[in-house]
Amino acid sequence: MKESLTLAAPTVTPPVTPPRTANAWTQVGLLMRWQLLRAAQAVPLLVVVQLLLAVATVIGYGFLVGDTAGPAGLYLTTGAPTISLVMIGLVMTPQWVAQSRTEGSLDWMRTLPVARPLFLIADLAVWTMIALPGLVVGLLLGAARFDVTLSLRWWIVPGALLVSLTAASIGYGIANLFAPPVAQILSQVFVFVVMLFSPISFPAQRLPQWAQTLHHWLPFEPMAQIVRGGLAGDVFSVPVRAWLVLAAWCVISVGGAVWALGRRP
Amino acid sequence: MDDVLRVDDLHKSFGKGHQVVHANAGVSMEARAGQVVALLGHNGAGKTTLVNQIVGLMRPDGGEIRVAGVDAVASPAMARRLCSVQAQANVPISGLTPLRAIELVGRIRGGDRRLVRARAASLIEGLALAPWARTKAEKVSGGVARLTAFAMCAVVPGRLVILDEPTNDVDPVRRRLLWTQIRRLADDGAAVLLVTHNVAEAASIIDRLVVLDRGRVIAAGTPAGVVAEHAPGASLEDAYIALVGEAEEAAA
Repeated sequence: MKESLTLAAPTVTPPVTPPRTANAWTQVGLLMRWQLLRAAQAVPLLVVVQLLLAVATVIGYGFLVGDTAGPAGLYLTTGAPTISLVMIGLVMTPQWVAQSRTEGSLDWMRTLPVARPLFLIADLAVWTMIALPGLVVGLLLGAARFDVTLSLRWWIVPGALLVSLTAASIGYGIANLFAPPVAQILSQVFVFVVMLFSPISFPAQRLPQWAQTLHHWLPFEPMAQIVRGGLAGDVFSVPVRAWLVLAAWCVISVGGAVWALGRRP
Repeated sequence: MDDVLRVDDLHKSFGKGHQVVHANAGVSMEARAGQVVALLGHNGAGKTTLVNQIVGLMRPDGGEIRVAGVDAVASPAMARRLCSVQAQANVPISGLTPLRAIELVGRIRGGDRRLVRARAASLIEGLALAPWARTKAEKVSGGVARLTAFAMCAVVPGRLVILDEPTNDVDPVRRRLLWTQIRRLADDGAAVLLVTHNVAEAASIIDRLVVLDRGRVIAAGTPAGVVAEHAPGASLEDAYIALVGEAEEAAA
């Protein structure tokens, strides 16, 4: 350990004017390395939690539903990835950001010459990587368990990214606007709103009328429709309205998150 | 006109009505390239509020901040490119080693890979951090973490380097090394704004000082000038204590 540092480093004089700002993608890569290394101990555990979540939303929900033949099995299989992506964005993001606010690292990071949206992009990339194994395993598990045939559409990847970006931006905004303990509690509330009261793993028709109307304007149903349509395109089509509503949520939430990050009280 | 930092009549308040606190009530000061300027004052004098406004974490209620001629209030992103900051609170870097953290920050700040590596090695040697350079941060002492935070700020320094209590928790031997590195930053051409309570030790390396009390500048000048005016023949620390005492009496 010591010997490798006896490099007898000569005194290196730094240039007084900092060079050009680093290339944005280089900065994203470096921020990702920073976050991954900082979370190195937790990452395997987080991946496992995502795997368990995928199992729970496919197999566990199956027990709740009972008869999983036909559309129910397809709903469970194609709903699981949406639930994972929304959980990452709305639950893990606020908790992660609230923790870095509490420990003081967020304010210091904000003094670095990094464009505000890059923080969001780097964090989103890290979280998506954490969610990915769970997403794939959940899909494979559902397809095998319920004997479902998937028919992928080309836009499933950009569609999933849109879902992921919107969910994470909403989470980011919440974590930056509310005091850390409030953000933590809100994220807990989202767990059961998303898992039980959103038409992601079941058809919207099962909800009371008022809840159906509400979900026409919330982002969760469009998210589920887009992912479902991208995974089982032969069975589900995506209404144009879903794209429009989600795109609007995406623009507003990304704008809000970037504003919240750059906010100067 | 080689002012790297120029603050003019800066105002910042918190709270409303009777609860209002004037954290900065018309602060004016400057720091030039090659100078270490100490920013002194009791807890709550408004030092950290001033720093947070310079780097764009807070928006002033009024007044002007220029960093290397750039309006830092209107262009906080540009100001951040021109400043590097060691925050008052320790930046948690658990999971990283000091060496890795210093190098990553240097690269994020736009430093060339080879230069950053050489500069990080130079700082680690200069601060005698080698025994911990590759130890996970959760296993190093508070003093080593503090020195690491300084090196993260100094690895690719801005035109303005802001150090908020850099000597906290640092042992006396390494404090000397740290003062040498801080002086060197200025000698290499940066302007250094040093927020500290360690007046006695800082006295040997600073060029100028600014004393804040209740959000106002109550004294500014060279150490010799301030001593001559407020406690002739005494040390800078004695002069500072006398000054703040006078201000408190006047306010009572």
